[in-house]
Amino acid sequence: MTALLEIRDLAVSVDGKTILDEFELVVGAGEVHAVMGPNGSGKSTLAYVLAGREGYQVTRGTIRFLGRDLLTLEPEERAAAGLFLAMQYPVEIPGVANMYFLRQAMNAIRKARGEPDISAADFMKRLRAQAELVGVPPELLKRDLNAGFSGGEKKRNEILQLLMLEPRLAVLDETDSGLDIDALRTVAEGVNRLRSPERAMLVITHYQRLLDYIVPDRVHVLVDGRIRRSGGKELALELEAEGYAAFQPKPAEPATAAA
Amino acid sequence: MATALDTVREYTGHEYKYGWVTDIESEVAPKGLDEATIRMISAKKDEPAWLTDWRLEAYRRWLTMEEPRWQKVTYPPIDYQAISYYAAPKQKERPKSLDEIDPEIRKTYDKLGIPIREQEVLAGVAVDYVFDSVSVATTFKNKLKELGVVFCSISEAVQEHPELVRRYLGSVVPQGDNFFAALNSAVFTDGSFVYVPKGVRCPMELSTYFRINAAETGQFERTLIIADSGSYVSYLEGCTAPQRDENQLHAAVVELIALDDAEIKYSTVQNWYPGDAEGRGGIYNFVTKRGACRGRNSKISWTQVETGSAITWKYPSCILQGDNSVGEFYSVAVTNNHQQADTGTKMIHIGKNTRSRIVAKGISAGRSDSTYRGLVRVLKSAEGARNHTQCDSMLIGDRCGAHTVPYIEVRNPTAKCEHEATTSKISDDQLFYCRSRGISEEDAVALVVNGFCREVMDELPMEFAVEARKLLAISLEGSVG
Amino acid sequence: MPTARAVEPVPELLELWATSRAYLPGKGPVPGLRDAAFAAFREVGFPTTRAEAWKYTNVVPWVNRPLRLPPRDVPGTDRITAWFAGGVKARRLIFVNGHLLPELAHVGGLPGGVTVRGLGRLLQEEPDRVADALAELDEPRGLTALNTAFASAGAWIELQDGAALDEPLQLLFLTTATADSVLCNLRNVVRLGRAARLHLIETHVALGDAKPLSNVVSQVRLGEGAELRQDRVEIGAAPAALIERSRTVIAAGGRLCRTVATLGYGLSRHEQGVRIVGAGAEALLNGVFTPTGKEHVDTQIRVEHAAPSCHSNQFYKGVVDGRSHAVFAGKILVERAAQKTDAYQSNNNLLLSDEAEIDSKPELEIYADDVKCSHGATIGELDPAALFYLRSRGLPAALARSLLIFGWAEEVLERMADEATRLQARRAFLARLPGGAVLGEP
Repeated sequence: MTALLEIRDLAVSVDGKTILDEFELVVGAGEVHAVMGPNGSGKSTLAYVLAGREGYQVTRGTIRFLGRDLLTLEPEERAAAGLFLAMQYPVEIPGVANMYFLRQAMNAIRKARGEPDISAADFMKRLRAQAELVGVPPELLKRDLNAGFSGGEKKRNEILQLLMLEPRLAVLDETDSGLDIDALRTVAEGVNRLRSPERAMLVITHYQRLLDYIVPDRVHVLVDGRIRRSGGKELALELEAEGYAAFQPKPAEPATAAA
Repeated sequence: MATALDTVREYTGHEYKYGWVTDIESEVAPKGLDEATIRMISAKKDEPAWLTDWRLEAYRRWLTMEEPRWQKVTYPPIDYQAISYYAAPKQKERPKSLDEIDPEIRKTYDKLGIPIREQEVLAGVAVDYVFDSVSVATTFKNKLKELGVVFCSISEAVQEHPELVRRYLGSVVPQGDNFFAALNSAVFTDGSFVYVPKGVRCPMELSTYFRINAAETGQFERTLIIADSGSYVSYLEGCTAPQRDENQLHAAVVELIALDDAEIKYSTVQNWYPGDAEGRGGIYNFVTKRGACRGRNSKISWTQVETGSAITWKYPSCILQGDNSVGEFYSVAVTNNHQQADTGTKMIHIGKNTRSRIVAKGISAGRSDSTYRGLVRVLKSAEGARNHTQCDSMLIGDRCGAHTVPYIEVRNPTAKCEHEATTSKISDDQLFYCRSRGISEEDAVALVVNGFCREVMDELPMEFAVEARKLLAISLEGSVG
Repeated sequence: MPTARAVEPVPELLELWATSRAYLPGKGPVPGLRDAAFAAFREVGFPTTRAEAWKYTNVVPWVNRPLRLPPRDVPGTDRITAWFAGGVKARRLIFVNGHLLPELAHVGGLPGGVTVRGLGRLLQEEPDRVADALAELDEPRGLTALNTAFASAGAWIELQDGAALDEPLQLLFLTTATADSVLCNLRNVVRLGRAARLHLIETHVALGDAKPLSNVVSQVRLGEGAELRQDRVEIGAAPAALIERSRTVIAAGGRLCRTVATLGYGLSRHEQGVRIVGAGAEALLNGVFTPTGKEHVDTQIRVEHAAPSCHSNQFYKGVVDGRSHAVFAGKILVERAAQKTDAYQSNNNLLLSDEAEIDSKPELEIYADDVKCSHGATIGELDPAALFYLRSRGLPAALARSLLIFGWAEEVLERMADEATRLQARRAFLARLPGGAVLGEP
């Protein structure tokens, strides 16, 4: 199996502070990987580094995506290459209608790939079908992008974008936070629908519960910027039962750590 | 990776698309202004004595007036004697049909994207073409005539419809209204005239395209639109000028009159030459625009997209005299480099249950300054008056300024006025979000800015909304995206 | 040479200066400073409505008239104690008709690092220091210059670094019925050192039918992390005029919370300038004005953000009745250096009468891009839905109306830190409110 995403010896710092270090991850096509970790372990940093957000300095290592050097690409080039990040905090853009935005995005990506624009009719047909699937009501499509959306609405909308843009690699950053159980199930169904032998998912989460619905092939435990352990889906259950404490690096001086 | 600010800087230095000069033989009056100049202009246009006297009266008033200084703009003193007040392409007489128009002029408008033709692109729009001081053509005149709609240059209206011109000229903006209006009243050369008779809904958009071509001249156009009872008209003006190192003065006056149940929609896409990145050259756009809702249930709606000019000084206003009359002002003002805009509106509520709505969006970039200045005045008689004002400013970069100066004066307790204003910027988060969905940085900036302005853009007639959106992106290219 | 915008003072004022000049307190540099100030006043003159800041207020008839300097007049103590505020432990300076009454002052035994003194004595004892302070406000403004020329009373309040006064300090300014045509030029100086804390109460009262003019100038400086809470109430009879200009400078981390209730005076003009010069500072300016009859109230606020990461909020409400005229002009200026500024302003007004007038001018001037600034202004009548709701619950229309108006003003009054001042303001407001008596003591 060819690796879709290959992260080797990655070190990332923010404002001079190292957040991720000696980070390794290989995701093959068709696989679903979960990265689990407590608050402050570097989960969101991983998501943002993959999507190319500014302010995250890669000080060492490589990321290859579909054989290309991901780190040389601009965020929009990464999107065109087939990377999608469902964000923990989707941004509000007043005055820009949700579906207008989505069409712009789709066509921008198609253009980058040398494909023609999607016709208005095809777009609407697909949009309606997918929106229904993830429970995004029609009026939400007409409203300004994320403006005044509830937390749940924002997350559903991210998944709708995911379904519409059909990326090769979907990175889900804390998609479960702020969702009730019904919403969680809908969102998971949407994601599962996209699973295929060509595609991969990287589910970043604090809790195991999302993994009840999006069952991972591999689980990685991220603590203090490094992957401490990897295993099968049962590792998630183990974490749920025992917590992250066992994976905490040993503090050098217990006295200061306690303070 | 670039921040929003870097993007802005990166795209600085775009070229003004309309900066070329048409090589055409023109008749240009000697520089300077005195009574003889005014008599000369009046004589050129073969005007009746009352109009010559009206101009001279304005001129005498102007001599006693001071140039306004309260606006938040700075510019060196204007030497009014160093300007030529009349420039016109040489032609024996006004062409009788569109086919007789000078090919150079025809080419000019082709190049500007508004060919002098009654077909294709502009099939639904009648256009009056004003080149320097004179109107060179008007399309669809005959078709409109069938409905009784008069659409012609104001010079022609003086000859053909003197009674209407005499009755309404200066009735909304009097000769001595302000310094620039007085100057215009003295020396105005051409502009458009519209009369829509009772009960007629004008079936097409009416439009005037103003082009300054000659150097060291000013353009002083005068537009007069009268919508008789129960009529409707939508009118649009556009404008461009060559790129020159000297500033040129454009001091127009626009008067609108809406009688009972009439509606006038007036849209402007202003793209005068803004000057270069260092602030050299550009048009001084000092304009007085005012509409009178004289009749009951009348409505006047101003929409403006202001991207050009070195300095903009204009306050399209509504005098809401008729009961239940409505005034609207939708504005987008974009300033970049060293541009300065001081613009807004006045809504004067006189009649009962009069309503007004103001939506002003200012976008400042580069080293520019953008000011919204507005007045909402509710007189004692304006029982039940309503106003809502929303002013939003967006700053791009930290060398520009955005200002909001609203005046709200209320003398009737049943009135309700609401004013809101905000200031924001394009956030890096917004740009990143768009980019992570595959949209380029440049497009992302345009997207966010267009979203910011959407409420106003939606008010533009369909035919021009697309053009205006493009224009917005281009102006911001110089500084936004 | 007087500018075109100014009005020449009446000869009586020139005469007043000529005859009283030699008797005004202050040694050393003070007389020279006074002369210069009067010369500046002559040059600038009184402002007219042609000046933007006075566009809606014709101050000339109130100020340009034959005026005299205040005679000494001590009203009965009962008339004074009625206006005490700040609780039993409050410290107090009392000024009657522009004179400090030292015998009634209660500023003994202050904690270390806290100085509270009358300006008159200080002008004699420490003229250099006072002269330096007065010279800080040297912009060419007619009324400020006039104040500097004549100033002979006021409060000098100084807190050293870290000093605090736990009890409120009340400044009570009273004019009496005998104060007709009296010109009270009061000058207050408030300086708080680093992390100093003060709760200041200002009570302005005009009694009787006299027509005095109080021309107050206050200079306030807050050091790093200093905190000033200020409650101010103005309760004056219709003929009296109160004009105040204050200038406050706030250093990093400083905090100002000022609440002003204007409940009277034929003319009340309050011009506040607040300049924030250090990061992380905060300025909260609350106010309610309630003109009725033929009163004229003019509030002018200018908040200048010159440092990053500061917060300011202007919260002003108006209840405008009778044939009165209210003016609100509030400005937020954000300078280039003041990134991450968070500045708000709201001015909401109830216009209750056909004869009344309100002019509101909320203004923003922004030169920094990473800021959150907004303002809102409304003018309207009482919400009919709210009125209906109350009536449907059994309240008579007049009472419902009074209750809603009261609630409108109360939103500001409840921001006062001192309960006694809040009560005074409430009582005065209810007394002015048609049907207010029905509401009783809330």
